[in-house]
Amino acid sequence: MQDARDAEDNRLLETGEIDLLLAGWLETIRGRCIARMRGPVGEDVAQAVCERLWRELKAGRHRDGRLPFRVIVHSVIGWVCNGWNEPGWYESEFLEPDRAAPDESDEVVIDVTLEQFVATLPPGDGEVAALLYLEGLEPAEIAERLGKKPNALYQAISRNRARLREWLEE
Amino acid sequence: MTTELETLLDELARRHARGEALDVEATLRQAGARADELAPLIEAFLERAPRGAPSDDALAYVRSLDDPPLLRARVAKALRVDDVVDAIVTACELRPEARAKVRRYYQQLESGVLDPAPVAASVWDAITTLLGRSRASLVAPRLDAKVAPSPMFRADKLFEPSALQAPSARPAEPDPPDEVDALFLGDE
Repeated sequence: MQDARDAEDNRLLETGEIDLLLAGWLETIRGRCIARMRGPVGEDVAQAVCERLWRELKAGRHRDGRLPFRVIVHSVIGWVCNGWNEPGWYESEFLEPDRAAPDESDEVVIDVTLEQFVATLPPGDGEVAALLYLEGLEPAEIAERLGKKPNALYQAISRNRARLREWLEE
Repeated sequence: MTTELETLLDELARRHARGEALDVEATLRQAGARADELAPLIEAFLERAPRGAPSDDALAYVRSLDDPPLLRARVAKALRVDDVVDAIVTACELRPEARAKVRRYYQQLESGVLDPAPVAASVWDAITTLLGRSRASLVAPRLDAKVAPSPMFRADKLFEPSALQAPSARPAEPDPPDEVDALFLGDE
């Protein structure tokens, strides 16, 4: 899954628009680092992740498309977060994302995506989740688009909330 | 209580879909004592969610990644060099006359000319407090910095001492190191 987004990342890599590519990932990088590290240090770690990725992109790495760029991003986040308190963690020349991860829990799950979660939902609730979590529509807009009554819509949203959490805990 | 975590997660997922700032720190604060439970769920969500479209701010940030980290942090806070200098002078209880020298040293530090290692902890405390960043992030090694080979010049003609003009006066002796030198260069 995420073929379209992976394809867009590959296009940006091929055309050398690496600033646009990394900028698109910035909010994800910050969010994950803050969630992992907790507190202001998360911003420092996010900066280190961006510096590392920027350096690698400028050196022309990851352009072969062997791994989706999102996998590279999440590998670097895991690597920097794990090594942040280890002296000399930044000294290695380049990250090798195809090497075995030091901690299995940090391996990026390549094929589990939000789109897949939405695809597993029953048709009615799936439509609501797609518009809410993928398209970013407001509940009122979703109700109008799907012709649903507010009550029915909020019930679907409530069911999806519980399913989302359950799916993230897997 | 479970519903609250699900609500926070749902709100974060919606902000993500709308391309808004995620504000993970505030979300974790809202979770209170259950932040430890929420944090891995946020991580899992971000690992699986598609990336957003790049904002202008994000693009500007990425394009500034080639700047030295200290400069980047100051600009991000919309501070002037003089603001940082004032903070150092105040925190280190320096005389007002020392300000110009502090300014010179700080600019060297910010531009990466001055070795940050011997700079006194009191100077770093002033800087990190003002910029809200850790020392480690401000002096992070420039990973792409390669030592440029020294330029070599070819002499077109031999040195002729007689071509030099005699100095009109003896060059001034350098000032002895003072407390500002000690703060930025260490006790040599």
